[in-house]
Amino acid sequence: MQNFTRRQFLSLVGAAGGTSALLKTSLALGLMADVNYAGPVSINAPTSNKKPTALILGAGIAGLATALELERAGFECIIIEASFRPGGRNLTVRHGDKIDEMGNPQICQFDQQENLYFNCGPARIPGHHRRLLHYCRTLNVPLQIKANSCKLAYFQDDKTFGGKPIRQIEYHADVRGLLSELVWKSANAKHYDALLSEEDVAKLVKFAQLHGDLSESGQYLGTERAGATNDRMLQFPTSHQPIELQAMLNSSFWHGGLLGAELYDWCEPLMEPIGGMDAVVKAFLRNLKKAPLLNAQVKKIYNVDGGVEVTFEQGGRYHTVKADYCFNNIPAYFMAGIDNNFTQQYQAGLNSIKRGHLFKIAYQMKERFWEKEGIYGGISYSADPITQIWYPSHDIHTAKGIVLGAYTWEPQISAKFEAMSQTERLQAGAASGNKIHPGFSQFIENGITIPWARINHQMGCGMRMDEEDFLAYFELLQQPEGRHLMIGDQISHHSGWQEGALASSEQALQQLNKLLVMHSQQAGGGRYVS
Amino acid sequence: MSVKALLCAVLFSLCGTFVQAEPAPTPEGLEFCTVCHGNQLKGNSNIAAPRLSGLDADYLARQLKAFRQGMRGAHPDDENGSLMRPMSSLLSEADIAQVVKWITATESPVPAPSITGDSEHGRQLFQSCAACHGANAMGNVQLGAPSLVALNDWYVVNQLQHFRDGLRGEQASDTYGQMMVAASKVLSSNQDINDVVAYINTLK
Ligand SMILES: Cc1cc2nc3c(=O)[nH]c(=O)nc-3n(C[C@H](O)[C@H](O)[C@H](O)COP(=O)(O)OP(=O)(O)OC[C@H]3O[C@@H](n4cnc5c(N)ncnc54)[C@H](O)[C@@H]3O)c2cc1C
Ligand code: HEC
Ligand code: HEC
Repeated sequence: MQNFTRRQFLSLVGAAGGTSALLKTSLALGLMADVNYAGPVSINAPTSNKKPTALILGAGIAGLATALELERAGFECIIIEASFRPGGRNLTVRHGDKIDEMGNPQICQFDQQENLYFNCGPARIPGHHRRLLHYCRTLNVPLQIKANSCKLAYFQDDKTFGGKPIRQIEYHADVRGLLSELVWKSANAKHYDALLSEEDVAKLVKFAQLHGDLSESGQYLGTERAGATNDRMLQFPTSHQPIELQAMLNSSFWHGGLLGAELYDWCEPLMEPIGGMDAVVKAFLRNLKKAPLLNAQVKKIYNVDGGVEVTFEQGGRYHTVKADYCFNNIPAYFMAGIDNNFTQQYQAGLNSIKRGHLFKIAYQMKERFWEKEGIYGGISYSADPITQIWYPSHDIHTAKGIVLGAYTWEPQISAKFEAMSQTERLQAGAASGNKIHPGFSQFIENGITIPWARINHQMGCGMRMDEEDFLAYFELLQQPEGRHLMIGDQISHHSGWQEGALASSEQALQQLNKLLVMHSQQAGGGRYVS
Repeated sequence: MSVKALLCAVLFSLCGTFVQAEPAPTPEGLEFCTVCHGNQLKGNSNIAAPRLSGLDADYLARQLKAFRQGMRGAHPDDENGSLMRPMSSLLSEADIAQVVKWITATESPVPAPSITGDSEHGRQLFQSCAACHGANAMGNVQLGAPSLVALNDWYVVNQLQHFRDGLRGEQASDTYGQMMVAASKVLSSNQDINDVVAYINTLK
């Protein structure tokens, strides 16, 4: 057993016991735990006659979920939110909505129509994000499939294939063909004889042939699997001229877009709430007893005797409130600007969380021209700074549509867009769009840009810690600091996903359960200290 | 209903502990300044946004105009300056007067030292600075030299490097900045910069 990798072990189990054995063993091995989610933490509500209280700082997904669970357990909660709107990074904009970019506030000019909206932050949910899906199911957030990849969409790079956009299905088929050809050749050159029996080598040759659609002599000559260059209904299909191996290696698609649908969080099919991701926020708000205080910016957080005292400013006035516990959803890099009495070590941990730079552009298109090219959702990949173009898979064949014209997470690239004026950003996006869809810019009616590193009260997404800091501080930040607990995707291994935010909330509520036991014992023993 | 009564209605049992402090209120529309510069503009090293309280009105107004005109923060390598520059773009002349009034009314603690250096060597180097910034580094309004003790030490280090490296004060029309470009030449290394800043820390 010792020398087996986990994967080798699993394939053995799979072969012997079928898939259910595989599933059980997977769980035993700690894999696929996300499928085994049991629901939110049940909070051990305190039994004293005074209602327990909690302050939730920030109405992001983590804050909202924490408040909901606490209210359900009998806590009285106040959510204190700095922005004019709840939801944090979960932001969907429609006609007339404000995009609160500091120094460049924008008002969304989309037509006033239900299907014309844009998810500025989160846009997709994979099937294994059990916590988020739990809330979608139990709070009645209807979902639909969101096509996250489209084989008919393009890949374009000025430096390869003469800058011509290539259909992804052609590239995929060619990559498979070319790699299979290599496998076929080396199998026939007896490269695997030490590893495999003669019979297995024969199987491998067959596999390569089928996988790559190779000729009898093991050559990849193109494939009908990628369609045809003529009318394949009425004419004998002619497949496209395959990419040369050298050109494929020189292209940039394989180190980015090619894996777009291969990663666990992007594995098909993905989902989205009907009508916009903020349906999740609205669902929490519908189910909360008390609406968040808005335009209320937290300025001070102090652990005091038996509770936490928080000061916020609203309408030019400072107010101080106190509660038994405090759950802090504020992006950690703001905490150095907020007065507090945390230990140096804890504050150092908060300071070690660095900002990420995500940037999106969206255009309202007067026609859904991409549908005429056979594209009904998914993503085209560009080697330009825009990186990607997303097509809506909802409201197919309606008159207009909102297209994502850029989405970047490379800090340097995002920083370039951040430094541009609004017009420059929109023009740069349009110019790159034109390379994939000639005439792209002529369909644009208006557009918005969302540099998350410049958005008020957020200033980033995809927080990260250096490895050293991570080892030094992550666990510390998961622990309570007095009666104060940090939450948010920043306190998870999965920053940049709502599931990470919800996982952090779950973890914090488990910590709360420990505090509740501790504090009730202290109260009972007459030694009430915090 | 008064604002307080209204909030009490919203804020359940916590009304009892409801108190109001007296810090300088943030003028409407300027809340976002405190997102980067912190409560009472005390500074936030994570954003590289310095403390602003303790700086004099003339200096502050000049900086805001410099950012707005692209005299400061426009150099492509000036990451922090280019973060600040668009924040000034929507401020009118009248706004700037208003903003400065608010900044000078804020009160926040003098920043704790974070830079280490040879403060004795720094003291020697500082003699050339004292002519303009004053022997106690409290600044000289006539000369347009701001207080250095009001500032976060990491920010002072950063600005000295920027003057030296041509990221600030380069434009000929930036007469005040040009003075500093010349003055920064006295500091011949990053170690010199740290040393002089370590000395300034002893004056706080
Ligand atoms: C471009 C982009 C794409 C994404 N794609 C996806 C996706 O496809 N799927 C997915 O699941 N997730 C995605 N995410 C991630 C998702 O948006 C986040 O993980 C999640 O929304 C984070 O929630 P949170 O509660 O941790 O924090 P936040 O949403 O950041 O909430 C923090 C809250 O604190 C408030 N606040 C800040 N300062 C103060 C203060 N001083 N006082 C009071 N309140 C304050 C803020 O206004 C905000 O409301 C994406 C994010 C972005 C930006
Ligand atoms: C997005 C973050 C951010 C916001 C919002 C912001 N600032 Fe700044 N500010 C900075 C940074 C970073 C610097 C430091 C620039 C540098 O290093 O050159 C700075 C510098 C300054 C300076 C120069 C200080 C000095 O000592 O020279 C002033 C004045 C200033 N800001 C005022 C404001 C005001 C007023 C507002 C609101 C209208 C504001 N800032 C909003 C980030 C911000
Ligand atoms: C000839 C006068 C003069 C001398 C000498 C001088 N300064 Fe300055 N300094 C100024 C002026 C004027 C400014 C304001 C520049 C502006 O308005 O942009 C300034 C600005 C600064 C700033 C930027 C402050 C801020 O808030 O951004 C720092 C830091 C600084 N000086 C440090 C020093 C140090 C350290 C020395 C000595 C090595 C020194 N100065 C010597 C005149 C001087």
